[in-house]
Amino acid sequence: MKKSNHRRQYPLLLMLPFVLLVAGFELGPLLAMIKGSFLSDDGGRVTLEQYVTVFQSKYYVQGIRNSVMISLFSAGISIVVALFAAYSITRYSGKTRDRLLMIANMTSNFEGIPLSFSYIILLGNNGLFTMLFARWGWDVLAGFNLYSWTGLVLVYVYFQIPLAMLLVYPAFYGIQKEWREAASLLGATSFHFWRHIGVPVLLPSAAGTFSILFANAMGAYATAYALVGSNYNLISLQIASLVASDVALRPNLGSALGVLLASIMIATMLLNERLLRQWRRDLR
Amino acid sequence: MNFVAVEQIQKSFGQQTVLDRVSLQLKKGEFATLLGQSGCGKSTLLRAIAGLVDVDGGRIFIDGREITHEEPRKRKVGMVFQSYALFPNMTVEENIAFGLKMKKDRDAESKVRRMIELVHLNGKEKAYPHQLSGGQQQRVALARSLVVEPKVLLLDEPLGALDAKIRHNLQNELKRIQRELMMTTVFVTHDREEAMRLSDTVHIMHEGRIVQSGAPQDVYASPRNAFVAEFIGNYNVMSAEQFARMAGGEVPSASQVAIRPEVICMEPSEAEPQPPGDAWSFRGKVCDITMMGNVLRYEVTTDGPNLLVDQLHRNQAMLPPGTPVRLSVARSELILYP
Amino acid sequence: MKRRMGMHHFITGIMLVYLLLPLLATLLFALASKWSVTLLPESFTLRWFAELFQDKRFFLAMGRTVLIIVLSVALGIAVMVPTVFIVSVYFPRSERFLQAVAMLPFGIPPVVAAVGLLRMYAGGPLPLAGTPWILIFTYFVATLPFMYQGIRNSLRTVNAIELVHAAELLGANKWTAFRKVVLPGIAPGILVAVLLSVAMLFGEFALANLLVGGRFETLQIYLYQKINKSGHLGSAIVVTYYLLIVLITWALLKTGKSGHLSRR
Repeated sequence: MKKSNHRRQYPLLLMLPFVLLVAGFELGPLLAMIKGSFLSDDGGRVTLEQYVTVFQSKYYVQGIRNSVMISLFSAGISIVVALFAAYSITRYSGKTRDRLLMIANMTSNFEGIPLSFSYIILLGNNGLFTMLFARWGWDVLAGFNLYSWTGLVLVYVYFQIPLAMLLVYPAFYGIQKEWREAASLLGATSFHFWRHIGVPVLLPSAAGTFSILFANAMGAYATAYALVGSNYNLISLQIASLVASDVALRPNLGSALGVLLASIMIATMLLNERLLRQWRRDLR
Repeated sequence: MNFVAVEQIQKSFGQQTVLDRVSLQLKKGEFATLLGQSGCGKSTLLRAIAGLVDVDGGRIFIDGREITHEEPRKRKVGMVFQSYALFPNMTVEENIAFGLKMKKDRDAESKVRRMIELVHLNGKEKAYPHQLSGGQQQRVALARSLVVEPKVLLLDEPLGALDAKIRHNLQNELKRIQRELMMTTVFVTHDREEAMRLSDTVHIMHEGRIVQSGAPQDVYASPRNAFVAEFIGNYNVMSAEQFARMAGGEVPSASQVAIRPEVICMEPSEAEPQPPGDAWSFRGKVCDITMMGNVLRYEVTTDGPNLLVDQLHRNQAMLPPGTPVRLSVARSELILYP
Repeated sequence: MKRRMGMHHFITGIMLVYLLLPLLATLLFALASKWSVTLLPESFTLRWFAELFQDKRFFLAMGRTVLIIVLSVALGIAVMVPTVFIVSVYFPRSERFLQAVAMLPFGIPPVVAAVGLLRMYAGGPLPLAGTPWILIFTYFVATLPFMYQGIRNSLRTVNAIELVHAAELLGANKWTAFRKVVLPGIAPGILVAVLLSVAMLFGEFALANLLVGGRFETLQIYLYQKINKSGHLGSAIVVTYYLLIVLITWALLKTGKSGHLSRR
């Protein structure tokens, strides 16, 4: 009908700013990155050489491996700790529970530069705890290097745990009291209940949260930058130095690494879904 | 010898007493029902027997053994919940087998198969709970509790969430299975018809106490007090003064009178009444009539209180509102409360 | 169940210590004049905060950050409120597409976004890189998920579409209906989205550093520069920044409670 077509033009026009902004600053850059990853360094030819460079370089492959390992470990530790902590929170009544959740909310915001900085002053080479423990003769921190693999995992875990707690605690309310009671009457101990019923029911939520934590860690830049600068081989730091540093820029190589990073994140998510359906056949 | 014995159970939640020195006995194979309104304590008593609630005082025995403070999983008691409580991540088979798995029973497979047959769920072994109807889920819950051969089966308003037709069918199924297995059963409901259909013994509960126990027909015909009378049926309950006004005579030594609606004879007053000997006879007027299928329920005004009168729906014409009637009640049918 | 609570208290206790310790330590560090090898600071002082609040560079960085945030969020509201409303009312079948586009930024790490953004805007016909503009527009995209969710949920809660129809039946046109009926109803939802966005943007470093770097020093960039100079001063900055975040989150919780129907 003519009337509705005319009526629709005006609102469509109002959406123009949105369309332009999304095209220019969300979708456009993604496409530009993908396009750039298939170009040679001078931008002249269409080629796969950027990807070849990545996979043939021990350095970049190591970077990918480091990022994946650190993300896997920190996400894994965080989700397990968060499950226990979230369960404990749900055992408290209203007010206490809300306050605990508020604390989790606030500490999940403590990330990036400030977080790394805090850890540096506590556990860095001249850090408070480092010196304190040394003075007291405690060896536990003697071999510890904050600016290493373990240090990164430690700092990542700090902000991932509260985030995971917030994402995962609602799932505990999906576990019905009657299930526990029925299981108990059928002879199950607490352990058996969690193993056969509790954990499987929590699994979708936990798996989804793990995906988010992993992706979050893979893409983390500020925290790593403040902690180790360019002294550690991480894919997010590599990308940054290839596209935005003062040293020799190779934006197309950076694009290739960017595409790889995004691909790893997507692949993990899909793998996660697949494994979940294996475990919970009732969700198909 | 009592198979299940509950002695002087006491339970309070904060200031509120929920169970007040309740005692109960069941013989082996008996189907007992706890009947009462919401909040009377029947579910709490059931859960106390199951061990899901800790009692403040009293003792509980099953098959001669005291289980008052034992963990639920050691009591050999089965329970079916109103919300079914089926484990969502397991198939019908796996749900039923769960208890056997906990016992590491080697015979599990055949036992599960037999149980599925017993509850008529053939063909649904591999289904998940969310794929089943309410009635089917409840049958799985029943099978799951029975397959581990508990000493006592507890049912907490298990049919409350189902609609009428399915509820009816399951009631029959339940009775059949209970008879076949000779399972000692405690059933909780607020539905008096359900209680009377299914039970060997009915225990009426009110405010944390058992106010009357007995076979359904006995409790129905001889309610011990006005509360039971009003709860168990549509009894006409009135004070002695009201009765005197209505029937024109004093009732010796009673403060309240209860009369079942089906024992009141009623005829239009044009007809010459032949009241049976030894009966109270008085007049009234039809004020309302409800057709309940096979029963006609009249509400009749009298010189005393309004009466409910039930008559079997035979070929006689329904008496319209406004009809003057003559009513009579045999003296033996009056239930007197001191 | 009572015996179990002991274990839960234990777990909760450890978690609280673990999470609050760095915050507490940073706070003490910001208040300590000297603290090297003792359990508690040797002496306390406020001079780091004094130094901070006398630093012109700090206020400039803070000012730039606030400016960017205000502009980005204002742009976000100005563009998203009409957009979400229009799609809900006129193009409901495109809702899914809008949702995909709006939630996508959650899945794109800032470095990845920076790659494409620099390709497009570093040099070439539209050299926005290095100017605040690229940051404003990129921040707009970064807050899309919050804006979209907040506005859409609010519209659902107040049944915006039905309200508009009802208003139209009473003689108003869509624009009036929107202004007088819908807008007041979704205000709390918008406020929540704004607070979430502001909290996020205050902590944003990656895009700021990669897209504009030192040419437009935001609070986080300033913080990064100062870390290496002095631990105490850095702590003061962190504490100030974090107090700001806590305030915003607190305001968020208050609005969240009063903006919605009472929850069970």
